[in-house]
Amino acid sequence: MNSTATLSSGNRTASSGDALDLVLRIGLLPILMAIVIVGTSLMSPYFLGWMNIVNILRMASFLAIIACGQALVIIAGGFDLSVGAVVALASVVTAKAMAAAASAIGGPDIVAIVIGIGAGLGSGLAVGLFNGICVSRLKVSGFVVTLGTMSATAGIGLLLTNGIPVYGMPKAFVQAIGRSQFLGFPLAIYIALAVILVMVFVQRRTLFGRYVYAIGGNLDAAVVSGVSIRPHLVGTYVVSGGLAALVGILLTALVGSGQASLGGDAMMLQSIAAAVIGGVSLRGGIGRVEIVAVAALFLTILGNALNLLHIDSRIQPIFLGLIMVLAVALDEFSRRRTSRV
Amino acid sequence: MSDANLTATTRSADLDGKTRDRRAFDRSFGQQWLRKLALPIALVALLAGFALADDRILTSYNLLNIAQQTSYLALFAMAQMVVILTRGFDLSLGPTVSMVSVGAALAMAGMGGGEAGGLVVVTAALAAGLALAVACGLFNGVVVALLGVSPLVATLGSMNIAIGVATTISDGRPVQGVPSAFSQVFYTGSLLGLPIAIVIALVVGVALAFVLSRTVFGRSLYIIGTNPQAAAVAGIPVKRLLVYAYLLCSALAALGALMMTARTGSGEPNLGGTLSLQSIAAAVVGGTSLAGGRGGVATAVLGALFITILSNGMNLTRIDGYVQMIVLGAIVILGVVLDRLRLSAR
Repeated sequence: MNSTATLSSGNRTASSGDALDLVLRIGLLPILMAIVIVGTSLMSPYFLGWMNIVNILRMASFLAIIACGQALVIIAGGFDLSVGAVVALASVVTAKAMAAAASAIGGPDIVAIVIGIGAGLGSGLAVGLFNGICVSRLKVSGFVVTLGTMSATAGIGLLLTNGIPVYGMPKAFVQAIGRSQFLGFPLAIYIALAVILVMVFVQRRTLFGRYVYAIGGNLDAAVVSGVSIRPHLVGTYVVSGGLAALVGILLTALVGSGQASLGGDAMMLQSIAAAVIGGVSLRGGIGRVEIVAVAALFLTILGNALNLLHIDSRIQPIFLGLIMVLAVALDEFSRRRTSRV
Repeated sequence: MSDANLTATTRSADLDGKTRDRRAFDRSFGQQWLRKLALPIALVALLAGFALADDRILTSYNLLNIAQQTSYLALFAMAQMVVILTRGFDLSLGPTVSMVSVGAALAMAGMGGGEAGGLVVVTAALAAGLALAVACGLFNGVVVALLGVSPLVATLGSMNIAIGVATTISDGRPVQGVPSAFSQVFYTGSLLGLPIAIVIALVVGVALAFVLSRTVFGRSLYIIGTNPQAAAVAGIPVKRLLVYAYLLCSALAALGALMMTARTGSGEPNLGGTLSLQSIAAAVVGGTSLAGGRGGVATAVLGALFITILSNGMNLTRIDGYVQMIVLGAIVILGVVLDRLRLSAR
């Protein structure tokens, strides 16, 4: 059936056999998500409560922002293991700078807040720049470089604070960014939406986005086509570092103090999981940010549902691991089917 | 006239090219030796530097201590190196260690602790530990080789699963009841005056070196890592050997886990902690290439030795633990940069 369809159409586009592949590739995530949502809402009355929905969306926003940057790096053929550590570093740097500025200047809070946010973002961008330069200049694998910066960045964050939370930020910062709401939703959700929209635009409509696909898809072809590789590779890591720092700042505002324990390995692994479940190919060149954001939402919903269903938190990683392998295996399976036909 | 000019210039250019090649060859030949010896030299320099800062470093007690500490990390680095040779890596190594530690301790506790004979207890621990490790290795190997999933995702998945299993079967608490017979075999015992951990690491290292360099299986791993397509075309059963490689990796990790369990005297659900990344770091710093096909027992052991000496020295000279994290990160990056230089010299 499959083979006759392809034979008659001559190539594999729009043949009926691809309907299954289409479901396999695009439909898996929505189907899983629907199952989880319907199943959990039947079993737990709290799941569809307003508070819980807002909570899910807020947590998903943090993960989605980081996963967007991670996805961009992976699409270019790299990896960013340092995002979790950057979240921690940015949180600490933001809180320290803001507290110092607030006590030194003593003027309006807005000045201290801007200084703090600038310092936090700057620290993330700096780590990203370092990663990017190491990867592109020295042509070293992104996995190992960011493995190194992960350790170093986490060490710097801990060194700055000695592991003690940093207080002393202006109240206005916590109220305006961490706890303020607009139309019933916390600010973080709007920021995440804005980030996703900008990233979609970047991926689809800018040279940078297209070049990132080209570099990840076929490096040699990109070189021959005259794409300058280095600045674009550096760019992906800088974006990833900057977005991780943004999450660090948002989390700091939410928690009300700068903590070197924010982010961490768990967040880094989840961002990779979201990217991979969201269809980003680890071989590079394939992946769309909006689907990655949906995958981040799915992972957050899944974790929330497992909690509400009183499933032991120790068993929860098993679900995450199985779903991740399953998603990628299905993806690979469908790709092999299409390429074999 | 112009013709003659032209030939003259081309000939001289040719000559220049030849001498340049010749010089480049001489230089690269020397550099290759330098690069091969770079890490051992760095090791000696590191030891000497620390010895100047603190005279406890070069005592025989501390050197034996370093050797013993190295043997654990060396085992894990060797395990990791086997799969890195095939262009893979195993992020589940650390959680596998935790899982094996807890599983073996539970099996021994289930046997009634020290009441059963020593041999029975040790066999039970070995069986339980190896069974868990084989399950994990088989999962990794099948998912990577047969389903074609990238090693990163496959082992990231099994990493989560192993963490879940380790904390679930232990209830998240250390498992007590490890009998002394077990500790005797895997920690406190000694052979020819050497602590048993060093003996085990040496035996494993020699055996693995033999397997990698003198058996068809070992050589095939290098070919798979260097060029998977060529390996398949040459008739090497790539998929089967990949599964074996992941099995071997998990089995070695299980052995290390049993040794660490004997050292702590209890099954620890987070014994593995950062071992996945540490073992990758050790292998890479030693010169195992993540691009596959290059490395060996020596690179894994040297890397493990380097990292152990570094952290031992930093501990004795009282360098802040947070600073140590930064140094370790810098070392990892430096390691790949050196690897890159070695590669470009070829």
